[in-house]
Amino acid sequence: MGIQTTRYDGGGPAFAHPEPLGVVATGLVRSFGTVHAVEAIDFTARPGEVTALIGPNGSGKTTLLLMLASLLAPDAGSIRICGIDPVADPRGVRAQLGWMPDTLGVWEELTVHEILAMMGRLYGASKASAAARADELLGIVKLAEFASRPARVLSRGQQQRLSLARALVHDPQVLLLDEPASGLDPGARIDLRNLLRDLADRGRTVVVSSHVLVELDEMADRAVFIAAGRSVSELTVDDAGARQRRYSIQSTDPAALAAELSAAGVQASVADGQRRKPTVVRLESETAAAELLRRLVLAGVPVTAFGPSAGALEESYVSSVGPAATDQAGGTR
Amino acid sequence: MSATMVQRKPGLGFLAGVGTVFRMETRQRLRTRGWYILLVVWFVVIGLVAALAAYATGAWAPDDGAGYVAGSGIGQVMFELVIAFVLFFGLLVAPALSANTVSGDRSAGTLAVLQNTLLTPGQILAGKWLAAWVSSLAFLVVSLPMVVWAMTYGDVYLPAVPVFLLMTAVEFGIVCAIGVGVSARAGRTLFAVVSTYLLVALLALGTAIAYGLSFQLVEEQVTVSAQIWPDDPWSKVQYNDAGEAVDGQGEVIKDQDAYFTQIQEEADSYTIDPNAYVCGPDTYQASIFHTERITWLLAANPFVVIADAVPTRASSGPPTGSGIMNALSQGVRGSQAGLPGQAPCQDGKKQDVAVSADAGTDGAPLWPLGLLVQLCLAALLLLLGRRRLRTPVRRLPRGTRIA
Ligand SMILES: Nc1ncnc2c1ncn2[C@@H]1O[C@H](COP(=O)(O)OP(=O)(O)OP(=O)(O)O)[C@@H](O)[C@H]1O
Ligand SMILES: [Mg+2]
Repeated sequence: MGIQTTRYDGGGPAFAHPEPLGVVATGLVRSFGTVHAVEAIDFTARPGEVTALIGPNGSGKTTLLLMLASLLAPDAGSIRICGIDPVADPRGVRAQLGWMPDTLGVWEELTVHEILAMMGRLYGASKASAAARADELLGIVKLAEFASRPARVLSRGQQQRLSLARALVHDPQVLLLDEPASGLDPGARIDLRNLLRDLADRGRTVVVSSHVLVELDEMADRAVFIAAGRSVSELTVDDAGARQRRYSIQSTDPAALAAELSAAGVQASVADGQRRKPTVVRLESETAAAELLRRLVLAGVPVTAFGPSAGALEESYVSSVGPAATDQAGGTR
Repeated sequence: MSATMVQRKPGLGFLAGVGTVFRMETRQRLRTRGWYILLVVWFVVIGLVAALAAYATGAWAPDDGAGYVAGSGIGQVMFELVIAFVLFFGLLVAPALSANTVSGDRSAGTLAVLQNTLLTPGQILAGKWLAAWVSSLAFLVVSLPMVVWAMTYGDVYLPAVPVFLLMTAVEFGIVCAIGVGVSARAGRTLFAVVSTYLLVALLALGTAIAYGLSFQLVEEQVTVSAQIWPDDPWSKVQYNDAGEAVDGQGEVIKDQDAYFTQIQEEADSYTIDPNAYVCGPDTYQASIFHTERITWLLAANPFVVIADAVPTRASSGPPTGSGIMNALSQGVRGSQAGLPGQAPCQDGKKQDVAVSADAGTDGAPLWPLGLLVQLCLAALLLLLGRRRLRTPVRRLPRGTRIA
């Protein structure tokens, strides 16, 4: 059976299976000697959705993904990937699963096309279909012109894209990506976002760990926050948007802005940490934000910028993982 | 559609997986310049060894009867020297070719990617081993011209050539298996390479050292006496205290020179029968060594395996040159035969074990045992390596990450 037969034509996946599809992990525990990397993680990712995995450095994201990718056995807890237990049947899981590690590993002397074609063959594809799939993927990740270069000469971002293509080589049902956007230029990030959205829309289960929360805001349907090896909260991005959050306002006349804000009874502060020193207000909902903006404009305050001061996920990150971690979240933006 | 989904089963045949790993490995190797440099260096060194052998055995002397004579054994000597050096250099090169395979992938971060495909640990190991073995065989192929050169002298024992090539290939395969096994087991490439070298040294040198040191353990003090061949004209000669030959009555023979010349003539027409000896009356203490009890220590030595396995011309044939591998084989089989050669006369009695003129060809071959020991070692290391490659990983060695 080759890649063609594993290709999925985009029909509804859920009703074809009695078992829950996607990724379901409950009560995961994993320690390395005395280091408790994962202490208690429940994790669910549904088909047709992009699930973001968010947490500070060392919180156990990579460890969790390794367990989901059937490479690391959990000390306790259970995992189902497309209904299959990776501990009992790792090969069954691997046929369905694409994993992109956070460390870049390439076979330096092989060419980009060879790497993809060989990988396809390692998933059981025939020579011809593996080569065709490699060509297709090189087009998708925009590496076609590098097809016959040795992987050694690729730049970091190009290696990252190759690694992504490699994870997609057998058109897996479940895609686990460990910090796929790091090292990518803005254009490539947009491509990545579109690609992942597209895969999700075709019924794949996509799990992305990343520190670039703005990025996730735009593509993730759901976010799982983990901190110190525990899953601390799970929410949909729509929920996150409906929460109380901060807005920053800029005006060419800060005095008029301050006067109007206090007249409206809104608590305001000036953000010192940022270059343009915007005024920051805390608002209950998007409706309240629209109302305030209308009031400011009607009052003749020259507003040049009005918007959420941070992405919805960043706000949630601060509230779930704790303010101590904000530096890391902000630092990668 | 749902049917194809439910029945989706991993579909990677064993050989297909091994073949792909093999291709990935060999392609990478074929593209590194170092490998070619190594091949050229190898060719030059083996070529020099062969040339030196040809020079030392007089093959280059003018063909005036004193120097090279066709069939006088030069080719055989050279052939065996080339064997020894090909094996020696092979033992140096094969660990380097094999011990970085799995551990190199591990440090490059590509091993986890391979493990995440449908490959089984056995397929990874088999593919890597095959690639290492085939690339070490390239070194054997490069040495073929020297073997052919030796064969041009016309006296190389032809049945020995294919056996030599086969056994060397087998030995390379075993060393590569050891290297790949250690490499899968080890965390770091350097550690894997050094460990493989140590294991190979254990086989090649350690066995010899152990054999040497064990001599003490098998030493025995016995009373021995001289061997006398009564029919040998020289043994009939009697001497007085002054060292002069005397006749039956104790009278000094007048013309000593003429007497010795006559004896010499008699001796020339006498062919010695090695078993027609008697034990002399004078006894003395001597150490004998039961080498037959410790010869097995040498069995796993790659040089012994090859020397012992490669057939030599039957010793009854016309005398021809024999090189170091033949000497090694003879030595080992003599050691295996043990005592009879060492003390033919013990306690004034003739030992009843027949002593042939050429003890070397009598012993049972030792190489099957050696090969078995080596195969067991390689299999053990591969098994240990395979356990380390199994996923999902339960116990991770300290200080390592999967990715
Ligand atoms: N093999 C290992 N041996 C010992 N400790 C480990 C091992 N792997 C991970 N850890 C520890 O477990 C914790 C979680 O590591 P992990 O790599 O999962 O973090 P992460 O969330 O991916 O971090 P980052 O955001 O930096 O990628 C860390 O404290 C790490 O030091
Ligand atoms: Mg990580």
